[in-house]
Amino acid sequence: MSEALVRSDPIPAGPFLGRDASLKAAPRLARYVLRARASAAVEKVLGAQIPTAIGGFANGVACLGPDEWLMFASDGRESPVDESGSVSVTEVSDRSVGIILEGARAAEILATGCPLDLDHFAVGRATRTIYETVEIVIVREAMDRFHIEVWRSFAPWLWTALTTAATE
Amino acid sequence: MILIHCPYCDEQRPEIEFANAGQAHIARPSDPSAMSDEEWEHYLFIRANPRGRHHERWRHNHGCGRFFNAVRDTVTDKFETTYKAGEPRR
Amino acid sequence: MTGYRLPTGGRIDRATPFKVRFDGRSYSAFAGDSLASALLANGVQLFGRSFKYHRPRGIVGSGSEEPNALISVTRGPGRFTPNLRATNVEVYPGFEAESQNRWPSLRFDFGAINDRLGMFFPAGFYNKTFMWPRSFWERLYEPAIRRMAGLGKSPTEEDPDHYSATYAHCDVLIIGAGPAGIDAALEAASSNQRVILIDEQDEAGGGALADPALWPWLARSMKALAGMPNVTILTRTTAFGYFHDNFIGAVERMTDHLADIGSGPREKLWRIRAGEVVLAQGAIERPLVFDGNDTPGVMLSSAAKVFALRYGVAVGRSVALMASHDSGWQDVFAMAKAGVGIAAIIDVRDEVDADLRAQAEELGIAVRLGQSVIGVRGRHGVTAIEIARNDGGASSTLACDAVLMAGGWTPTVHLWSHSKGTLAWHDDLGAFVPDVPAEKARCVGACAGLWNFGQGLTIDALPTPKDKARIKAFVDFQNDVTAKDIRLAVREGFRSIEHIKRYTTNGMATDQGKTSNLNGLQIASTALSRPVTDIGLTTFRPPYTPQTFGALAGHAKGSLFQPTRKTNIDGWAEENGAVFELVAQWRRARYFPKAGEDMLAAVNRECRMVRSSVGIFDASTLGKIEVVGPDAAEFLNRMYTNPWKALEPGRCRYGLLLKEDGFIADDGVSARLAPDRFHLTTTTGGAARVLNMMEDYLQTEWPDLNVWLTSTTEQYAVIALQGPNARKVLEPLVEGIDLSAEAFPHMAIREGLICGIPTRLFRVSFTGELGFEINVPSAYGRALWERIMAEGARYDITPYGTEAMHVLRAEKGFIIVGQDTDGTVTPFDAGLDWAVGKKKPDFVGKRSLARPDLVASGRKQLVGLLTEDPNHVLEEGAQIVADPKQPIPMTMIGHVTSSYWSETLGRSIALALVADGHHKMGEDLFIPMPGKTHVAKVSSMIFYDAEGARLNV
Ligand SMILES: [Zn+2]
Repeated sequence: MSEALVRSDPIPAGPFLGRDASLKAAPRLARYVLRARASAAVEKVLGAQIPTAIGGFANGVACLGPDEWLMFASDGRESPVDESGSVSVTEVSDRSVGIILEGARAAEILATGCPLDLDHFAVGRATRTIYETVEIVIVREAMDRFHIEVWRSFAPWLWTALTTAATE
Repeated sequence: MILIHCPYCDEQRPEIEFANAGQAHIARPSDPSAMSDEEWEHYLFIRANPRGRHHERWRHNHGCGRFFNAVRDTVTDKFETTYKAGEPRR
Repeated sequence: MTGYRLPTGGRIDRATPFKVRFDGRSYSAFAGDSLASALLANGVQLFGRSFKYHRPRGIVGSGSEEPNALISVTRGPGRFTPNLRATNVEVYPGFEAESQNRWPSLRFDFGAINDRLGMFFPAGFYNKTFMWPRSFWERLYEPAIRRMAGLGKSPTEEDPDHYSATYAHCDVLIIGAGPAGIDAALEAASSNQRVILIDEQDEAGGGALADPALWPWLARSMKALAGMPNVTILTRTTAFGYFHDNFIGAVERMTDHLADIGSGPREKLWRIRAGEVVLAQGAIERPLVFDGNDTPGVMLSSAAKVFALRYGVAVGRSVALMASHDSGWQDVFAMAKAGVGIAAIIDVRDEVDADLRAQAEELGIAVRLGQSVIGVRGRHGVTAIEIARNDGGASSTLACDAVLMAGGWTPTVHLWSHSKGTLAWHDDLGAFVPDVPAEKARCVGACAGLWNFGQGLTIDALPTPKDKARIKAFVDFQNDVTAKDIRLAVREGFRSIEHIKRYTTNGMATDQGKTSNLNGLQIASTALSRPVTDIGLTTFRPPYTPQTFGALAGHAKGSLFQPTRKTNIDGWAEENGAVFELVAQWRRARYFPKAGEDMLAAVNRECRMVRSSVGIFDASTLGKIEVVGPDAAEFLNRMYTNPWKALEPGRCRYGLLLKEDGFIADDGVSARLAPDRFHLTTTTGGAARVLNMMEDYLQTEWPDLNVWLTSTTEQYAVIALQGPNARKVLEPLVEGIDLSAEAFPHMAIREGLICGIPTRLFRVSFTGELGFEINVPSAYGRALWERIMAEGARYDITPYGTEAMHVLRAEKGFIIVGQDTDGTVTPFDAGLDWAVGKKKPDFVGKRSLARPDLVASGRKQLVGLLTEDPNHVLEEGAQIVADPKQPIPMTMIGHVTSSYWSETLGRSIALALVADGHHKMGEDLFIPMPGKTHVAKVSSMIFYDAEGARLNV
């Protein structure tokens, strides 16, 4: 075989330094959508506790809906396997890319297009929401750091929008 | 832009996360083939257009993704209440 | 006093003088001046021409209420802003503006002839006169009216500025930073709430800016607020709309006041969600209605006070006050103390407070009670006024160069009304005041009618001995509506204020009647002999003041206008000269021209290569949904028209999706990966819609099914490899998949590795050739594409775009949902009966297929069309008739949905929806086009390889 295929990503690898905030691509992650009627079934598959309330985030798993969890794992982790038929596991590692927005103005920059009241969006919360017209998933990792997930084809637009806001 | 209470997320969220999905409490008949043309037509096309309280469906499509029911006043555009799909009409 | 600038006083910075230009002339100004104050200081009274009569007009107000002085500011190429109020425009060194609605110049305006012909322009003139003949509208009336009427010019160049936008949240939003607003802000801020205080002026203070006694308090208060971390102060910010659930739109002007605009955004759109809204917008003084009240130099009393005390400008050397309200007296006293010469106070009332009279006497100001101004001398500026006693007798003349109107006050309830808060008529104030809120909101200060301006008399117009039909007493200055026009509307039968408004256009100008609504209402009330509360008030709508399109668009401009979705392979297409088209939000390669090729030549070559060797196509944009769960097959069986339960893992099936009304909604090939796992595909444009529809049925109709849906559209890059050599190109790259025809038949799926990467490999064809669609994780798309290109070089592998894809599929009669269907096409209409499971008891849309309308004869059905002239390619959308000789208008029996030159067949082909088309096989139909009627024969939709032999290899 010839050499391995090279991945290409839609946003720059290097960070963008704005005024009191920076943006950079999140490291490569494995991502899985886990669906089940009960969180216990998912916990059994993962062998770990997961958030049960919508908006929760723990152990790399965000609860996005009453039966929906989005799991982030370091790249290379094996896919979770369900033997019981009660958990749906779908790999979406390449569906989205992550953008890390960090700095004193992080929330202010996100608020340029996200209609949520981020003052009331505590550290450790995750949700699906929207930035202007583009759907995103946000995880508040610290007061001044957000992990923003966006579907791959929307990422260049979002990157431009956020870096523009970070410059103003 | 109004705020809508999602009964699944149990919080007020901005309208642009939601999509309207038409009149609520119109269940798909369990055996459509048993229905007369008139009954089927009624199910398909006939909708209420009240001035005031209106039962309608919304989906929190840029949030938890769930369809739910709401009572909205069509005059004031105020939501009276929202409740989960499958719960009885309010 | 140089010019009209007072020797001392005001908040202008006299240490920073500079020059500004207006209509090409240079004037001196100070930092802190508005254009209005700067020009008034230079003795300029004429600022513009009115909308209809082109009458000379001057300043009336001192802020957003200004109806007359609309000007255009120019800041170089593309930076031209019309219709700004001179009273709201801050000046800076090098400032340049021009007046509007005049030709050739402001002082000599050709259109002023309209004023001389005024008797011919009564209310409703346009409605009455330009009714007939209709054809004259486009050719004559409209162009002429447009030339004569209208406001400033629209800029013609692209706006070079960029604009910002944000959401913001607070517990208390205070709109208006006058004394009441500042007090509310201090109170809210002290309880540690998140406070936003916004004000449209360049500095906070509102009415206090014209009251030097309050300046120390103002400085103290603003310093306190600025020091609080929970308070955001936004000046130069106009709250233009108040929407549901305390959502307020505001625009902050960031650079318009700067000599050097720098590179930052010009304006910023604030979308604010507030727990509580406090409206502290103050009140607007009401003009008085009398003959000649629009002469330059006639203005609101409160405005003259602002010019004197805030800007240090006297609006005249000899100023007369015409009052029906105490507030004017106080204004004049303050002005007199500041050095403005006062000619006289005229008050329509017979009696006023003794204290006021005493103060006037002390200041040596002549007072005339029970009298009214009945005429104004001077055309481009006041020279004198005629005054008459209200109880009759001879009139007298008083020389003066400015007339102040003090007609009482109207609370600024625009935003309150946007929010649907109700208003109540307050007899003592002669005004509508806020009553019941519709949101968590309250009004404070003058906005709530709580003012200490004294007493007043509410009147519709000043008494006059003159013939009311022959005078020009203006109500709406901007739209040139006189008291006479309103009375005429009433005489002609209009009763509702909403109708009177539209007939006379009172209050319909860009100022939305800030100074005219109440006077118009009073005049209608008198004419109808009914109280104002019976007549009602017109509705205020956003925006409070006009806003730029740029501000409302915010960031959504240029590359941020809307997302252009690109696949992982898009970059390769761009580097290799692809011509793109937009499909939904996706940018897709349409064709790949080589040097010298036009679209047809490129598409012909691409089609030829697919049919003869192998083509490669980026199909990544296809919608994909992963359907997982024990009930997955049952769910798909209910959704799609055809049976799914018996589909073996490893096999694919064409799925046809209907809406419940029986019409085609979407289609796509889907694969069963495992008993409980399917990989669905949808059309590119239908991806989100289909997922939403499936979620709807799953969540609300069949919540008992154990199955879940996940969008995987963007998880996979998809490369279609199509053509007789496709297998040979693929073979060396694939591991773990037997590609032989026996092991991997058409409509099958296999999982394995390609170039070391996991793949879901479909053997499917949208071209009619041997074909594969290779799904790999998105990030590998481009690298894999390049590897395949290298591998396929020996077969002259050819990238093809959406145009060739369309031609190739049309040759095979494969439909494109949304192009060959339009939401009214059933599977039978489309010739897809074979995809409908006849034995299935139910699926979405099945019952509708038996509705009388859907089984009736004469429905439009999809057929092939072959033109008599094989070289003629019909136009898509062209209408079809059965008999070209019938009289016009002809009966159209259908239209062309797809039409191409088929290189494979050496002739044109088309698909068309034709009434009863399936029964017209072999018949000639006619397509009348300009210059020629084309003849085409109805044929099968499958033009090429009808038996499908090319797939079985
Ligand atoms: Zn929700």
